Parts: sequence; structure tokens; C-alpha cells
Amino acid sequence: MANIVSPFEDPSTRLSAGRFGMLIFIASLAMIFAASILGVMVVRFEDSGVWPPEGMPSLPGILLWSTVVLIASSGTQVLASRAAGRGDGPALRRWMIMTLGLAIVFLIMQGWAWIDLLDRGLDFSRHLYAWTFYFLTGLHALHVIGGVIPMCFVTARAVRLGYTRENHRGVAYVAMYWHFLDVAWITLYVTLLWGVGTLPW
Amino acid sequence: MTTLDATRPHDAKPGPEVDNYLTFTRGFLSWALTLDHKRIGLMYLVSVLGSFLVGGIFALLVRTELLTPGATIPGVDENLYNQFFTLHGAIMVFLVIIPSIPAALGNFVLPIMLGAKDVAFPRLNLCSYYLWIMGAICAVVSLTVGGFDTGWTFYTPYSTTTSTGGVIPVVTGVFILGFSSIFTGMNFVVTIHKLRPPGMTWFRMPLLLWALYATALIQVLATPVLAITLLMLIVERVFLIGLFDPAMGGDPVLFQHFFWFYSHPAVYIMILPAMGIISEIISVHAHRHIFGYRFIAFSSVAIAIFSFLVWGHHMFTSGQSPLMNTVFSLITFSVAIPSAIKIFNWMATLYRGSISINTPMLYGLGFIFLFTIGGLTGLHLGTLNTDIHLHDTYFVVAHFHYVMMGSALIAMVGGLHHWWPKMVGRMYNERHGIIGFALVFIGFNVTFFTQFMLGSHGMPRRYYDYPSEFQIYHVISTIGSYIMAAGFFWTLYLLVQSLFTGKIAPANPWGGRSLEWQCSSPPPHDNFKTTPSVGDCYDFSVVRWSEEEGGYVVDRNDEDASKPDH
Repeated sequence: MANIVSPFEDPSTRLSAGRFGMLIFIASLAMIFAASILGVMVVRFEDSGVWPPEGMPSLPGILLWSTVVLIASSGTQVLASRAAGRGDGPALRRWMIMTLGLAIVFLIMQGWAWIDLLDRGLDFSRHLYAWTFYFLTGLHALHVIGGVIPMCFVTARAVRLGYTRENHRGVAYVAMYWHFLDVAWITLYVTLLWGVGTLPW
Repeated sequence: MTTLDATRPHDAKPGPEVDNYLTFTRGFLSWALTLDHKRIGLMYLVSVLGSFLVGGIFALLVRTELLTPGATIPGVDENLYNQFFTLHGAIMVFLVIIPSIPAALGNFVLPIMLGAKDVAFPRLNLCSYYLWIMGAICAVVSLTVGGFDTGWTFYTPYSTTTSTGGVIPVVTGVFILGFSSIFTGMNFVVTIHKLRPPGMTWFRMPLLLWALYATALIQVLATPVLAITLLMLIVERVFLIGLFDPAMGGDPVLFQHFFWFYSHPAVYIMILPAMGIISEIISVHAHRHIFGYRFIAFSSVAIAIFSFLVWGHHMFTSGQSPLMNTVFSLITFSVAIPSAIKIFNWMATLYRGSISINTPMLYGLGFIFLFTIGGLTGLHLGTLNTDIHLHDTYFVVAHFHYVMMGSALIAMVGGLHHWWPKMVGRMYNERHGIIGFALVFIGFNVTFFTQFMLGSHGMPRRYYDYPSEFQIYHVISTIGSYIMAAGFFWTLYLLVQSLFTGKIAPANPWGGRSLEWQCSSPPPHDNFKTTPSVGDCYDFSVVRWSEEEGGYVVDRNDEDASKPDH
């Protein structure tokens, strides 16, 4: 498109505006997760019975491992961001590929957890217990998919060594989003554990 | 200002006409794919006004149906009537009022008032517009698959059990519109934080920008809750998991909590930018420095914060605990404080001002009158014991129309007149504008003041039929709605007419001091050729009428840019 009026005078304001915009966006998404968690908590509070209810499967153990994978991907993302800040293209390439790989492994594991529960007969609409599990994991997985797509583009560009020390906005934005999803998942997982009474409190 | 038109952009084609955003590039695609905030604002404006027409037609159908008890319009039964008022509400709230000021007028004026070349993320801005279009298409689709009759609030269990087929498409549409609103809000917050030119401190910003900023915060933080609520609603309707069904362990009031956690702040998404427009109109057309600048600015922020804490006052009769009701009632009353601060500051601005009685000013004064009524009747509804009586009656209908239409929409129309010369470069006919205002204002009060009486006498809202003793009120109210419709059509006519026969607008027709009046009318493609110099945007002492310009000019020599703001 011709005739674009860039609102920014120089790239550094552009980066700081972009980061600030991401922050606002993340605040907005955080409200989605906060509302969902509150909704699940209200549902749980209003059911005085034991969760999982009689005859229904407990939470799949693989969730613990997927949590570990997601935290690890956040770690590799930190390393990728640092490499980008140093202008170290090959290291950025390595850590971005690693992060993307771990992200995809996480998604596969979450899918595995779903299949596992469906196999053990926990239909979506069988009980609100089932709903809370599918709702929270599904909502998070959708956001992960929404993060993996831009991450693919960023990784592709990192593979081509397309980022410089001065300009690596894409890496910065993906990193912010990814760490947010990490924190969000831990919160959701804790909520699920609380729901089934695994937590001591 | 002449300094701004004097230099032409080097990439513009040579030609006799002065560069402006309307003629900068031509052709359908140059509009459909534009990243220019002014064009996007104008496209929003046309779309929003189109939706306003549709929503208005449904309103007239509702009012006409209520002319007599029982059936009035042949072929309209009670089910169709339910669809009419539902469509009226849903269209007016989600497609018209929420985007009207921020997305349409805000997009146009915010970057110019700020002194920026565009919003921070122009592509995201265009994306918001197309999300709006997609949301509107979903609403149209819902009509073709059977419509919906849940009321605009989509309360469960109506919305999960009604047989009308359009519930899922329209809920999806509102979901998408929510994202349009979130992205607009994000854009505005970042723009105001990051794109203020040198000299434009927070306390030099025009009050409309403070209002839009506060609004944007609500849009960003409250709308996601609506999104998740609607998602739950869709899931519930499709899979019947019992989330809102007590028989299956769910809770219908949970939906109401979630819905109002967004939809009450949404009321402030409507009213805050309207108040911002009024702050501009009142000071510019009274040619007097706004009184209590900081109080108005902080009141906007205070209202935004309160807006998150009062949602429960929609649910006084839904079985909340008495303690919750009392707390929500108390916080609701506190909203009156920042609102009243604004009203009194506007009054003080008018006091000893040199008031120009023209159309925007009349809408501004109309706003103060109508908002005062709308706000004060809100206190009756926030009082627990009177609310038990008035809840779900026409009193509520009248109250929120005074706020949402009489205030938000009237301010929008006033702002439209105020910035119309800037947007299109033509003056509308002032006498015609005043006639339009008179019709709308009289029609509005005839329609809705009557409904306060109807409601306090016990006429429930949303009813198709009623006892004959209410008929006289309904007839008066319906006549009022016809007068109002005539006023809006007249306004449309005079604005369209101005495009063809209106005289060319000067850069500064009203004597405004904020930055948009320093660009030519219509503004050039990139708003400012040079970084604008920022003074006190309410100091009208340096503004004088210039014969040769045919408008007002700002005497830059008198300006003391280093003067501390106050």
C-alpha cells in the first residue's frame, strides 16, 4: 500500500509503542482468563459434592508433564530473546526452533489429555466437572494455537537470520505473549487441581 | 491554518486543489484498504448511521405497535413484537452507540487533536473496522435464520431455550464486535501514551482525549469478559451442559453477573466519550476556558473505575444477598459525584461565557438537560426500595434512554455538527440545523418523559399488550417518536445537502483552539506538515475572527507555550 503515513518518527518509539500495545492486549486477555477462572470457581463452590464425581475419571497425569514442557518453552524463549538482543543470529535460530518445537509438543500433550479423558468416557456435557476441564484447557489451547502461528513466522525469519540487534520486534512480541500463556496455564492448572481437591487448601 | 496548507507533500500530484484526505487518492480500493484514521472514521460513521437507521425503524415499529392495546399493526403478533424490541436494543447498543463516538468520531478527531499523524497501529485500526462489518453481517444472518427474541441482554434461560434460530449467529456477531471494540481501545490507549508531540502533556490534552482514554481502558478490560460470557452462552445453547441451569448444577444468575460485569461498564463506554464531546462543545461555543479542567479529567477516570464496581445494581431483584445489594447501591450512588462534578463544571464554563447559540451548542445544552434527568432518575433505580417497584417497568426504559440516547446519541449528533465542517470541508445550514435539533429534542422528551409516568404507574417493559388506562401515555410517546424520527431524517437531509450546496468551511469556523482546528478543512492526508505547536487548548483569548480567512485564527504571537497548564 502506497501512501502510508507512519505515525512514528523513529524505530525505537515504534518498538516501545508495540510493546506497550502488547501489554494492553495481554491485560485484555488476562481478563478473559480471570473471568473464566472465576466462573469455574463459582461452579465448583455451588456443587457441594466431591470432584471428580462418582464414576468419573480424575485429571490426566500428563497435564503435569505438559506444564513442565510449557515452562521449558518459556525458558528457551528467554534464551532466544537474549540472543536477539545480542544480535546473535545462529543462537536465536536455535532457541526459536526449540521454543516452537516445545510449543507443538505442549499442544500434542494437551490433545492427548483430551483423548485420554474422552476414552475414559468423560463427555463434554456429562457433568460440569467435565465442562470445567474441557473449557479451561480448550480456551488455553486456542490461545496457544493463536501464539504458535505468529511464532512460526518469527522462527522462519530467525532461520533466515532476518533479525538484527536493532530490529527484532517480532521476537519481542512473541516472547511477551508466550510468557503470558505460560503464567496463564499455571493459573488454570492450579484452578483445576483445586477443583478436584488435590491441593492442600 | 495557512502554515499547514502552504507546503504540499512532494509525492502528491500537482493540481489546482489543495491536498486533503478525501481526494488524496481515489477509487474504491483506496478507501476499502485505507490506513488513514480519518477515512476509517468516516467509514465507521456511515456504517454506524446506517445501523442507526435500521435500529430506528425497529424502534418505530415497536412504538407503532404499542399505539393500541393488543394487536395494532396487521400481521405483527406478540412473537414478532419480541423480535422487534430485541433487534432494536441489540442493534442500537452493539452496532450504534458503543462504536458511535469512539470508533467513528474518535477515530477521526483523536489523532488530530493529539497532534499525531495517525493512530499507533493503523492496520489494527482497519482490522477493527472490518471486524465491525463482520459482526454486522452476523446480525443480518441471524435475521435470515429466524431472528431472536431474547432481549438485548441474552438472559438465560431464554437465550438457551428459545426456539428462534438466530441466537447463535447474533451472539457470535456481538462476540466479534467486542473484539472490534477491544482493538480500537488498545489503539487509543497506545496512541495517547506514545504519540503525544512535544509540549502535549497529559494536562494539555483536550478533555475529549481524557474521556476517550478512560473509555478505552474500559473497552480493553471489560469487553473480554463479555466475549467469554457469550462463548459460554453459545456452548451452553449447543451442548446443554447445564452451566446456567440449576437443575443440572448450574446457576442462571452467574450469567447475569458476567453479562453486567461487561454491560454496565459498557454504559460508560457510551457516556464517557459523550461527556468528552460536551466539554469541547461547551467551551468552544461559549468561547470560554473550560472550568475545572483537572476535575473533569479526573472525573472521567473516576467514572471509569467506578464502572467496574456497580454491575450488581442491575440485579437487585435477581436474588442477590441483601448485603451485596446494599454495597452495590452505595457504590452506585457514588457515581453521581464525578458525574455531577462534570455538570457543574460545564455550567461554570457557560457562566459569563460569550455563548454562540448554534446547532452544536444547542445539542450541548440539550445534553446537559437530558443527562441531568437521566442521571437523577438513576438514583431512584439505585435506591433499593424504589427499585423493587420500578424494576422492569417503563421507568427503567425511560431512564436508560435518557442516558444512552438523550445523552450519548445527542452528544454524538452534536459532535457530528461540531466536526462536520472539519470532516467534509463544508458548512451545514445553521438555521436548518437548529430546526433539526428542535425536532429531535422535543420529540425525545415527548417520547421518553411520558415513559417515566407510564413506568411509575406500573407498566412493565417489553409487554405487547396493556390495560387501556395506559393507552393515552403510549399514544403520546408514539407521537413523540415520530417527531424525533422526523428530526433525524431532517438532520440527515441537511448534512447531505451541505455536501452539495454548503459553503466552503474555513479551517476554524467556531473559534476552537485544539489542534484539529489548526489543520485545513478537510485536513490533509498526514494531518500536520510540521510538528504542531501546542498551547493551552482552552485559552480562547488568542483566538480572533479574521475576515480574509472567513473563520477564526489563532494569534501565535500571543501564545505563551511555556505557560504552565492549569
